[in-house]
Amino acid sequence: TAGNKIFHFGACRVSMSTTEIRAGFTAIKANIQARDPIRTLSILSYPHSLHKVKSPDRCCITHHLFDFYVDKVFKHCKTEDSFVNRKISSIANSFLSMKRKLGQCQEQNQCLCGQESTEKLKQILANYEGLNVTSAAMKSLGELDILLDWME
Amino acid sequence: SGELYCSLLNPRNVRFESVNMKNVLHWSAPEGTGNEVLYKVKYSVYGVGKWIRKPECKNINRTWCDLSSETSDYEEQYYASVKAFLNGMFSDWVETTRFNPLTDTKIDPPMVSVSSTDKSISITLTAPEKWKRSPEEESISLLQVYPGLQYNVSVLNKKTKKRWFFSISNHTLVVPWLEPGTAYCVSAQIHVSAPLLDSDFSKEHCIATLKDK
Amino acid sequence: GEDAFLPAPQNISILSTNMKHFLTWTPVIVQGETVRYSVEFQGEYERVYANESWIPISECSLLTATVCDITGDISATVAYNLRVRAELGASRSQWGTLKGFFNRITTSLTPPVMKVVADGYHLLVELEDMGPAFQFRVLYWKKGQERRMQQKVVKEASSVVHLDTMEAGGDYCVKAQTYVEAINRSSSFSQTQCVRAQGDTSLW
Repeated sequence: TAGNKIFHFGACRVSMSTTEIRAGFTAIKANIQARDPIRTLSILSYPHSLHKVKSPDRCCITHHLFDFYVDKVFKHCKTEDSFVNRKISSIANSFLSMKRKLGQCQEQNQCLCGQESTEKLKQILANYEGLNVTSAAMKSLGELDILLDWME
Repeated sequence: SGELYCSLLNPRNVRFESVNMKNVLHWSAPEGTGNEVLYKVKYSVYGVGKWIRKPECKNINRTWCDLSSETSDYEEQYYASVKAFLNGMFSDWVETTRFNPLTDTKIDPPMVSVSSTDKSISITLTAPEKWKRSPEEESISLLQVYPGLQYNVSVLNKKTKKRWFFSISNHTLVVPWLEPGTAYCVSAQIHVSAPLLDSDFSKEHCIATLKDK
Repeated sequence: GEDAFLPAPQNISILSTNMKHFLTWTPVIVQGETVRYSVEFQGEYERVYANESWIPISECSLLTATVCDITGDISATVAYNLRVRAELGASRSQWGTLKGFFNRITTSLTPPVMKVVADGYHLLVELEDMGPAFQFRVLYWKKGQERRMQQKVVKEASSVVHLDTMEAGGDYCVKAQTYVEAINRSSSFSQTQCVRAQGDTSLW
């Protein structure tokens, strides 16, 4: 059912729902993850799980990861499967409207990046660039639940 | 000369079955075989380089292996794999899909206890606990794992056959102003909205309000 | 390929009520022939980040009807473009494109169908199930005590929901509105319905 959540980013509070993104991802999770044969590397969790990042600037990581998915990931995930492509479109467009909501925190200067999150984001980009772009994009899309689990 | 190598058909339907994060690997025997086939199991943490053998599931002829201990960190995701062998013949390693304990577990219904006065019933609900290695280990309620956990409670008046629903976040509910000397049956379900997880409804617990004094 | 004699569909419009969205157009008439249609959509993401690409809706390709349920694909609160073209054998018309964007935030929300029940001293409400996107805000009060109005948010409407207990013989009134969190909008309120609790007021 519709599950609106108040996400706390420091003093900034944003009402967002990941329900539709979750539903879209769950519908294609098995398909997408089956296209990622590399078990030994995770884009978001290597070397440390995203969950280990307890940094106060959660907003910074969330905001930059939204940019990462919108700018780098979704466009390289086109498949031969129309159903999968439509779900990816749904997720990508939902990311856009969530990015807009997160923008409120940026306007209130609540989305600053500390050293820990800057390091983590650098690591994620390094993991991404360590693979060819299609593999990296598909792997990142397959890890969307890692981001959602951490956000929620 | 080439080594003589005979292959065995693969184990089938290799998957995790998880309830309250008790994560058990299950599979079916290769087609046309029975319990004469032996198996070995390995698992890996997604994103970490190595496969790890599960010694307690080496040379077994059952078709399940409890990996709860190895997969208890629900902030990680996992793969597991099974290989069958018989009289020198081997199958391939057959893997599960990626297993996420947080979203891929099934939650048991809550425990329900009911008491009554002449005009009211009191319902107490207890969320199931996360699987733990031993009774001595500290218990973790699924309420701690899923902070947004809620209960849907159904109260059935056995006389009028009318059913009411309540949706509550805390674990107690008092329904006052009921009919004396009437049987009411209560069952409850756990609802988690993110990730979306619903338990089944518990079996019904019936109790009668006391007769009018 | 595109064929001059096959005109593009006209009067393309959206019917959107309670988060169900339909694209409609007027039929292209070719005497003695069955013209078919195909629909595509383009979200803000495709427009801004994916080279203005269009995505076909498989359920609405080679369609003979002149309406397409686009609800499943309009699943984000952003501006969408929609287009439809006619097809006859190998011939295809030009695309007819919806004038202006469609954003689901403009869907029209109707008040919920509601039934209020008094069962002994208990006030209950039955609400129409309108789908997972909908929650219900239910307001209830004792007649004459409007200023002590109470509220309950109901997330699942699949059953008889218990609101509160009532004083014996009291008259209680209820009204409800839907709330769609994805677009952060509510419907207008339903008609108020009042019921009387069992028993006479002398009991209190």
